[in-house]
Amino acid sequence: MIKVEKVTKDYTVGQTKVHALRGVSLAIEKGEFLSIAGPSGSGKTTLLNLIGCLDKATSGEIYIDDEAVSGKNKKELALLRRQKLGFVFQSFNLIPVLNAYENVSFALSLLGINGTEIKERTCAILAEVGLEGMETRLPGELSGGQQQRVAVARALIKEPDVVLADEPTANLDSDTGGEILDLMAALNHKHGTTFVFSTHDRMVMDFARRLVRLHDGEVTSDERRAS
Amino acid sequence: MRFLITLAWKNLSRYRRRTMITAGALAVGLLFFIFLDGWLQGAARESERNIIWYESGSAKVMTSEYLEDLKSMPLKYAIEDPAAVEQVLEGAGVTTTRRTVFAGEIFYGEGSLFVKVVGVDPQTDETIYRLSETVAQGRYLKEGDQGVLLGEWLAEDLGIQVGEEITIRTRTRYGAFQTLDLIVVGVLNTPNPVVNKGTAFIPLELADEALEMEGAVTELTLYFPEWQNPEDKIQSLQERLSVLPGITVESWRDLARDFLMIAQAKSAGSSILLILVFIIAAVGISNTMLMAVYERVREIGMMRAMGMKDGAIRLTFLFEAGGIGLIGAVIGVGLGVIANWFMVRWGIDMSTLMGHMDIGYRVVGSFRSAWHPQAIAGGFVFGVIAAMLFSIIPSSRALKMQITDCLRYQ
Repeated sequence: MIKVEKVTKDYTVGQTKVHALRGVSLAIEKGEFLSIAGPSGSGKTTLLNLIGCLDKATSGEIYIDDEAVSGKNKKELALLRRQKLGFVFQSFNLIPVLNAYENVSFALSLLGINGTEIKERTCAILAEVGLEGMETRLPGELSGGQQQRVAVARALIKEPDVVLADEPTANLDSDTGGEILDLMAALNHKHGTTFVFSTHDRMVMDFARRLVRLHDGEVTSDERRAS
Repeated sequence: MRFLITLAWKNLSRYRRRTMITAGALAVGLLFFIFLDGWLQGAARESERNIIWYESGSAKVMTSEYLEDLKSMPLKYAIEDPAAVEQVLEGAGVTTTRRTVFAGEIFYGEGSLFVKVVGVDPQTDETIYRLSETVAQGRYLKEGDQGVLLGEWLAEDLGIQVGEEITIRTRTRYGAFQTLDLIVVGVLNTPNPVVNKGTAFIPLELADEALEMEGAVTELTLYFPEWQNPEDKIQSLQERLSVLPGITVESWRDLARDFLMIAQAKSAGSSILLILVFIIAAVGISNTMLMAVYERVREIGMMRAMGMKDGAIRLTFLFEAGGIGLIGAVIGVGLGVIANWFMVRWGIDMSTLMGHMDIGYRVVGSFRSAWHPQAIAGGFVFGVIAAMLFSIIPSSRALKMQITDCLRYQ
């Protein structure tokens, strides 16, 4: 479903050239619950950004559903992200003036879905992530864990092929982080949605069914575990 | 689209104080624009009316030579047979009166002043001009009077009272010196400063005799209602008068060219104020939107990551700025209309401030505004559109950033 082939990514910071990724290759199948782990600066966020079509690789190719992304223009990439990819961010990135319902339904309105369907699906997903009755609360009125649940609901509501989560538990305490991981695992199991998340947290690594380790921009191990 | 409008509307309330300060600046600009524009419009309209009522009527018939040398008021180019002109104009839908205008020097005590002296027909002048309604002291002219009416400012400058005698020195039609000893029968306080400050009126009969005019007059003033298209009217009158060689008709607009140019220049002043509103909108809205954009870079990154088009994000900021513009325009136009209503209803008495100062407008004392709906509507639309336009640059700057940079932005 997602194929990463010999991908490199170089940055220039001041006068220095940084090799963030050095020929990474990876294949991700549908329904996987995969964690990309590594220390800071290992290239995990860069890899996640490239898979999420938020950035362009310096060389190599990424295929999503057998489609190469490097040849796509800005609009085509935006369409691809809108239809096939969901994102969960470390700092939730909810819109503070919109309530939980509006923050989630926004993802569907981008797809041009009609009002009745938006209402049904938004209420259902909010109930599924355990936020029933909190639809009208603004992000500022929710705890960190509840905000991340809204973010997960926002990523999942459009039923994407893949949800990409960049350190989704980094801003949460360990109990709340565990609850979010449980939630994502349950949704992965129920909907068959592929989850790819980056982390340097041991608890999160242990949670994943497949663990890809990065170090200095290279894959150092790729281990699969029984669910 | 509905989501974008909802988001823009909610974003307006995110920083209420900032929104209101920006909208307030725009509102103050619009308030001043509407106020000044209404004032200039009012002064211009009142001036036009006062030119017609006290200075020139709707138009004047003169000889072409007289018109060419109008400022020196040359009696030698008078209309020899005014009755022939009146006959041609019969049935043309105009009222006429005869006048003879000439230059003179008034002597009183040890002082003297150069003035414009107008010989008027007391019987027919009132059918066009409203001088008789503005007699502040004494009385209006009568046929057979050996008297003179003076403008109030002129009388004050000379230090003369009703009943006192003055001498006017002038030249006859043939260039001979002539002096007229006249009793001041009245003082006029018209709303037209040009009349007040330098005009004296004597009976036409007296002027005719003293200047050896032998029935000739320098002009025939015409009056026709303003609702008639002045240009068409003047053209049709000119066609009628073409049977009389050397006779021409000049509209009040052409005669008051000096005033119209000043009025035009002053209305350009209100356009400058509109430019000032534009600058307020530019600086205020740009700054507010720039702050809003940079505070929301990560949100913008998130929306772009989720596949929202750049155009849709730009539209959100456009609607938000339009909302600020709308609030500012509603407040500004509302306050402007209230201020203008006050000025239309009561005006401001500037007589203490201005004294006998002539600022080009034919208005004295109380300045009243007029309604100018086009300017009010234009100011409203302009405020909203300018606000929207000035959100484009800040939002475009944020959209130029890479999505990954937006998401990392602190």
